Amino acid sequence: MEHSLFSKPKELFIDIVNPRDYVQIDSVSHMYQNLKSSVQKPLKMILLYGKPGTGKSMLLHKLHHDLSKHQKVFMIDIPIIDENDFLRVLAQKIYGHVNRDAITLTTFLELSSAVNYPQTPIVLLDEAQLYSTALMEKIRLISDARALKFVITLHKTDDEDIIAKEHFQTRIWESIELQNASPEELKIYIQKKLLKSNCFDVANMINDKNIKIISRLTKGNYRDANKLMFSLFSLYAWFEEYHPSKINYNSLKPKYIEMAAIHTGLIHA
Amino acid sequence: MLNIPSLERRWLKYKIKSYFPYILFSLLTVTLIIVITIFIHLEESNKQTLPTLVKQKSKDIILQTKDINPEIILEPSMQFIETMPSTVSQSTTTSVSIPILPPKNLATMQKIAPISPPAKIAQNVIIPPSLITPTIKSTTQPSSIKRDTATFDIHEIEDRFKNNSNPHLGLYIARYHYDHGNYNEAYNYALKTNSINNTIEESWLIFAKAMVKLGKTDQAKKTLQLYISQSNSDAARNLLDSFEKDVSK
Repeated sequence: MEHSLFSKPKELFIDIVNPRDYVQIDSVSHMYQNLKSSVQKPLKMILLYGKPGTGKSMLLHKLHHDLSKHQKVFMIDIPIIDENDFLRVLAQKIYGHVNRDAITLTTFLELSSAVNYPQTPIVLLDEAQLYSTALMEKIRLISDARALKFVITLHKTDDEDIIAKEHFQTRIWESIELQNASPEELKIYIQKKLLKSNCFDVANMINDKNIKIISRLTKGNYRDANKLMFSLFSLYAWFEEYHPSKINYNSLKPKYIEMAAIHTGLIHA
Repeated sequence: MLNIPSLERRWLKYKIKSYFPYILFSLLTVTLIIVITIFIHLEESNKQTLPTLVKQKSKDIILQTKDINPEIILEPSMQFIETMPSTVSQSTTTSVSIPILPPKNLATMQKIAPISPPAKIAQNVIIPPSLITPTIKSTTQPSSIKRDTATFDIHEIEDRFKNNSNPHLGLYIARYHYDHGNYNEAYNYALKTNSINNTIEESWLIFAKAMVKLGKTDQAKKTLQLYISQSNSDAARNLLDSFEKDVSK
């Protein structure tokens, strides 16, 4: 199992957000460049939105990874729901203010004016739809005071147009929407990921028909694609160990892709 | 941990489920094709059995039409001659009826001649009109006897007339009824024939004569006058004269 042809590819598709695993796809890299240039502008808030699994978190992590080399950037990937905790953590991480007591907004703004950064510190907020309206109002006030610059990611849901929310409508100066991948993009994504790790044999097994099935099953969702590929390569690893004769090394078997989809819940059977 | 056998079973279930609509559709299509084929086959076999029946019927019809049509076209009713003798006696003997007869009928008349109609007609000149009619009938009867003996049913012809509204058939039926003393029917069919085609002289004559038989002499005269004004028919004029003479007598 350890030396299986498919064990390495399997590990590649474990659904974790790691900026080093970032795969450059034309449309996504274009958006990333947009995002980077927006951050350099004197904007108060930048919104990154899209359906779950479109790569928002990955982009935010990538941004954090790239920006942190040049300026003060703090990323909150797990939302801090409590308002006092939120301000306290921000004060500590950005201004080095260590205090276990609650911090008011006024105190926070005083702290920000006391510390002088050459560039406005950037706060990256993932899953911002989980923050309360009151906390979002405070974030707005902080960004209005130009104490901090916020880049936030939101899930775009069908029944709720978050961008239309009042506190975003007037404050956001830049909004970037991320879309699901097209079959071609998905092909590039999967193959680049495999080639990056020298899994050439496995990358060659993936043909257009396979990609078509994967794209149909995942609807171009990167997260679902990762889950599916992980299950698929686990399945292949099992067959390689117990029934190697059942593996065709020229292409992926549609049957196995569908079995992997059943396992991941993409197909309800 | 993957449970491959269970996954394979679930996959098989999923495949059957996903192909089910296609299988159902193809089964329905095949069934439909079979049903249509059977239906067409049945229709064809029906067509094969029907012709024998239809052929017989159509043969009868053809025979009837062969019998009927020439009569209709070539044998215009000479019934009004019944009332003609008085005029004939006064004017120019029996020559009135001769020009109206078409060549074929002339031949038949010649064939029938041995029964001695001319002699009877000559006699009829002297005998009063009321007594002449039966003898005149006897001269025209052979043709109507022919029709009666032919294998047709007047109701069938009436039905055909109802279906196709052929004025010749209407005239034929009117003439038939008039010959058989069904004056009401004769009147009705002549009226229908006139409404379909108002240029058939004989139909107007039968219509007028039937009206006289039904006691509507004045109406018959008016009708004839109207017809004469439109068609300038000599036969109609003669018939009208005969009516007027009957009335004056």
